[in-house]
Amino acid sequence: MSTLPSKKGIFTASVLQNRGLGDKFFRLSLELEKKANTLFSSASAGQFVEIDVSQLALPTEKLIPEKLWDSSQRNVLLRRPFSFADIDSSNDCTIVEILYCVLGPATLRMKTLKTGDAVNLIGPLGNGFAIPEDKKSVILVAGGMGAPPLIHLAKVLKKQHQDMTITAFVGAKTKNDLAFFDIKTDKLKKKTDITLQEFAKHNIKTCISTDDGSAGFKGFVTESLKNRLGENKPAGEETIIYACGPEAMLSATAVLSSEFRIPCQVSLERRMACGIGLCQSCAVKCRDKTSGTLYKLCCKDGPVFWSDEVVWE
Amino acid sequence: MKNKNIDLSVKLGSLKLINPLMTASGTCGYADELDDFMDINLLGGFITKSITLKSRLGNDVPRIVETDSGMLNAIGLANIGVEKFVQEKIPIIERYKTPFFVNIAGETIDEYVAVAEKLTQCKRIAGLELNISCPNVKKGGITFGTDPALVRQITGEVKKVVKDKLLIVKLTPNVTDISAIARAAVDCGADALSLINTFTAMVIDIETKRPVLANRTGGLSGPAIKPIAVYLVNKVYNEVAKSAGVPLVAGGGIRTASDAIEFIIAGATAVTIGTGSFVSPDCAVKIIEGIKKYCLRHSITAVAELTGSLK
Repeated sequence: MSTLPSKKGIFTASVLQNRGLGDKFFRLSLELEKKANTLFSSASAGQFVEIDVSQLALPTEKLIPEKLWDSSQRNVLLRRPFSFADIDSSNDCTIVEILYCVLGPATLRMKTLKTGDAVNLIGPLGNGFAIPEDKKSVILVAGGMGAPPLIHLAKVLKKQHQDMTITAFVGAKTKNDLAFFDIKTDKLKKKTDITLQEFAKHNIKTCISTDDGSAGFKGFVTESLKNRLGENKPAGEETIIYACGPEAMLSATAVLSSEFRIPCQVSLERRMACGIGLCQSCAVKCRDKTSGTLYKLCCKDGPVFWSDEVVWE
Repeated sequence: MKNKNIDLSVKLGSLKLINPLMTASGTCGYADELDDFMDINLLGGFITKSITLKSRLGNDVPRIVETDSGMLNAIGLANIGVEKFVQEKIPIIERYKTPFFVNIAGETIDEYVAVAEKLTQCKRIAGLELNISCPNVKKGGITFGTDPALVRQITGEVKKVVKDKLLIVKLTPNVTDISAIARAAVDCGADALSLINTFTAMVIDIETKRPVLANRTGGLSGPAIKPIAVYLVNKVYNEVAKSAGVPLVAGGGIRTASDAIEFIIAGATAVTIGTGSFVSPDCAVKIIEGIKKYCLRHSITAVAELTGSLK
């Protein structure tokens, strides 16, 4: 993506809501301090913030899942990166939505955030999805916890590129792991037939896959995508794929991108200490025309990359 | 006493810094990364990421893992190489007034000398920091910094080519007697010593029974190492630096003004912010303000008076 350095800053935000979505998924709405408005109103889908959770307390013992008893005892020092799930900028007020899953000591602490609490964050960071003007058709591929930036992108595309046709492919382990979405079940149909409101409200046709078949197609999201691409053979010059999810899913999507000659942008995840290009820890192995391979930084050069520039391992 | 009466400047050899705050190599990029967060010109000095003769890709990922109050890194001296550094980064450095020090590394003494020769030609560079303490590369780095004979040799060889540039030698704590290493560097021409680099450490994933880092081991940094670093700084100050009149550039887990002041009392002339910048990229300027307040509170007119004031 573009390598122009973007402006960023350290800001304080106030928690508007920190709502549980199922037992381990949460939606965090943050209202940013006014001086962040200009920077965040021009931020794009696929960019992220680094949140300081080091000052937050643990939940009471009985609210800590057994699997996290050990790791929750660790101190948290480093900030944690989160993609935007939405940015709402209006009337001099910027609200940022973060969707997160409680997986370790940092997100466990975030669970305790209450309305009115102050949060310190750095952003907007990295380069988001680039939207070429000549595309008529967009395919979103979201796997598991990779859904948030694509939910954001869907909204942006619908607002700014009304004439684009968007199809979403959403995969998760089970129906319960689709908790980032507002799920509607049509009672007349089978209980595996569900609708994801975040896409449905924009009239985005959505194909769901789950590993266990508890919702939609039973299998990987990339199998479902491959079937569809095989049937429809979309024109590569008019179509673009945007994907975010586990690395194996992104790698399989990259293969489909080259097989069907459809350009594809992927949003990657790496362990980051800083998020601003200082620590060099979030290396992504990329192709280089002259020297074979080189490492780019997920935080600064990404997190969105063209799928054919990444060396998939 | 008013703010303006406090003299924050310190002397590193022949060089005067406006205050004791510096960046630690490898944690602050090449300066422009931090532009959005603070005015680099407010810093006493800037130490860049390591530069080697040829560019280095660095290690595979994972390159970091968080630990209790700290982190391990094994970046592997990823850098663009000295040629490209001179072409691309010197113009960036020239934008600032701050004295810049370039951290240099290599696999052989000849490589260190070649990088030093090249950088000595750059007017804008105030000095070099000799990295003989990186724990995350297979050749060079720490191998030099743990053997007093090699420290003598490498310091002496580089000193011959740096001319009027300040030569700082960065020490590793991964030795039996850090003072023996410090003495070797001072004897062979080090104008200042910087300490400490990271502690070699390991984190194991108990599910896979493998080290978390691709490099297996990494360097421990952050608040977890601060009390050990303060102790080692005081030891080197008492046993070597004070009598030799060689200033110490010290760091290890500094996040706050009180952390920085501890190091200065222990014997540091200047202090470096490393891991702290990852969490708070503007913390160096906040620390400067905190030091001013401390000086006011203790009626100290010059921060340099604090160096080595441990009772």
